[in-house]
Amino acid sequence: MEDDDRCSSNNPGGIEQEEEDEDGTVLRFLDSLDSYLTLLDALSSTLRQGWFELASARHSMGSSCISSVLLDQKVRSAATTFQVGKSIDGSPSESHPSFAISKWASSRDGKCSFGEMEVSHVQKTSKNSELRHRGSSNFYDTTEEHDLRINASSTIGDGDVQKERSKSLSVFGTLVSPKLRAAQVSFETALDAIVEIANIRSSMLCAFTQLQQEMKEKGLG
Amino acid sequence: MYGFEALTFNIHGGYLEAIVRGHRSGLLTASDYNNLCQCETLDDIKMHLSATEYGPYLQNEPSPLHTTTVVEKCTLKLVDEYKHMLCQATEPLSTFLEYITYGYMIDNVVLIVTGTLHERDVQELLEKCHPLGMFDSIATLAVAQNMRELYRLVLVDTPLAPYFSECITSEDLDDMNIEIMRNTLYKAYLEDFYNFCQKLGGATAEIMSDLLAFEADRRAVNITINSIGTELTRDDRRKLYSNFGLLYPYGHEELAISEDIDQVRAVMEKYPPYQSIFAKISYGESQMLDKAFYEEEVKRLCLAFEQQFHYAVFFAYMRLREQEIRNLMWISECVAQNQKSRIHDSVVFIF
Repeated sequence: MEDDDRCSSNNPGGIEQEEEDEDGTVLRFLDSLDSYLTLLDALSSTLRQGWFELASARHSMGSSCISSVLLDQKVRSAATTFQVGKSIDGSPSESHPSFAISKWASSRDGKCSFGEMEVSHVQKTSKNSELRHRGSSNFYDTTEEHDLRINASSTIGDGDVQKERSKSLSVFGTLVSPKLRAAQVSFETALDAIVEIANIRSSMLCAFTQLQQEMKEKGLG
Repeated sequence: MYGFEALTFNIHGGYLEAIVRGHRSGLLTASDYNNLCQCETLDDIKMHLSATEYGPYLQNEPSPLHTTTVVEKCTLKLVDEYKHMLCQATEPLSTFLEYITYGYMIDNVVLIVTGTLHERDVQELLEKCHPLGMFDSIATLAVAQNMRELYRLVLVDTPLAPYFSECITSEDLDDMNIEIMRNTLYKAYLEDFYNFCQKLGGATAEIMSDLLAFEADRRAVNITINSIGTELTRDDRRKLYSNFGLLYPYGHEELAISEDIDQVRAVMEKYPPYQSIFAKISYGESQMLDKAFYEEEVKRLCLAFEQQFHYAVFFAYMRLREQEIRNLMWISECVAQNQKSRIHDSVVFIF
């Protein structure tokens, strides 16, 4: 006890540093949890919107034009691919899986795809966001503004992305209703949200694991 | 100039005109739609429809109901009524009634050809075909590799044969060619139907000219809007427009070069009958355009029943039933997706 007192009195900075690290871990966990819940809400409303737009398109074009029997069963390379990697926050012991998608991969020729840029920008936004209100999709309202800015600066990829989108919709015909295109964009946004949710969940679980370890060590000490 | 239809029409057409007017009185009213819009589940919809003429078609369907089941069963009712009228009809009414089904035939041909291109099973595709558009050799469509074979093997013996002369090529069938084929066939069909009605003369010619011209104009607008941002060239777009209608020919020239919805609006607002349609939608928006067109169509179809002794009532009835089935499909989808606040986005009341 006297030794501890002497240690604490001799090294007050070290204890403060530990407490700051612990607070940082708690904040990281709470921040990830908040982002996770917000994104879940946004995903739910985006999917709802997508299904509604699909129903609108079917109402506009007719049930025979938009039907599951028209989906292509030929084997072809995927337009969108999914990568799993490792992300390191801080020390090497804090690595956790990270996920990314490459959308419209067939339009790329050695340059960064529009889809990759979009997801990485969304990730940065999620780390730097201020307090958000859950139950609304304003996270993706913000993302849409970023999309517009990305659109303005990435005009090289726009035409290719549009072509790929039209190509994937061509199973329903080449002259499809704008409502079907809107549904496609909604489901694409939902896919981005799912990948982002996976990343945030991974980060959240990593922070939670660290927190548990620190609390365990503190309990033993 | 009308002839003395009042003296002779009822000899051959009186019974069926009475039948179709009776069917018209069975169309759902605003109070029926209000009840349906308040349903919480598809089983509630089934319960409300059991008190209507759709009751016998839905009563044996097991729960849980699906939106496609509601549409299929309601369509079966329309098919039964149509077949009853067709088997009772004499010339030229029987030919007129057959003309009404050629549009469904075209849709079925495109469905089979597209599905085959995507390596789908033919039986699966046949189950999704519209019953009014079926013909004997439809399953053989799956064998054709290009339009020439399509015509030679199957369609030469169908009523669609005369419409193929404009689109026979030896090019392999792909998504773009199939879309152009669909629209070219429909264009030829509408023009043929229009000419047939002109030959019939009298009130049939006058009323059907108005209805078919509206259909041609609506198709031109939809083709324009749907082709914005696609690879379809201006010339190809222009070729898909029908050679009749209020927009023919000057409106078509302007629509062919339109690049966005606002330019389409600027073209259409020059024509007084279409000003009211575009007045209902805001600038840059096309979501409510379908509903605005359907409302205008329903208004014109209902007016067809104000006169007697013509065949347009049969066409009007079929189209009004189609609109009713579209309404039921929309209400079912909104209820199934828990989007009841959006039901009135697309429901078009008939009465």
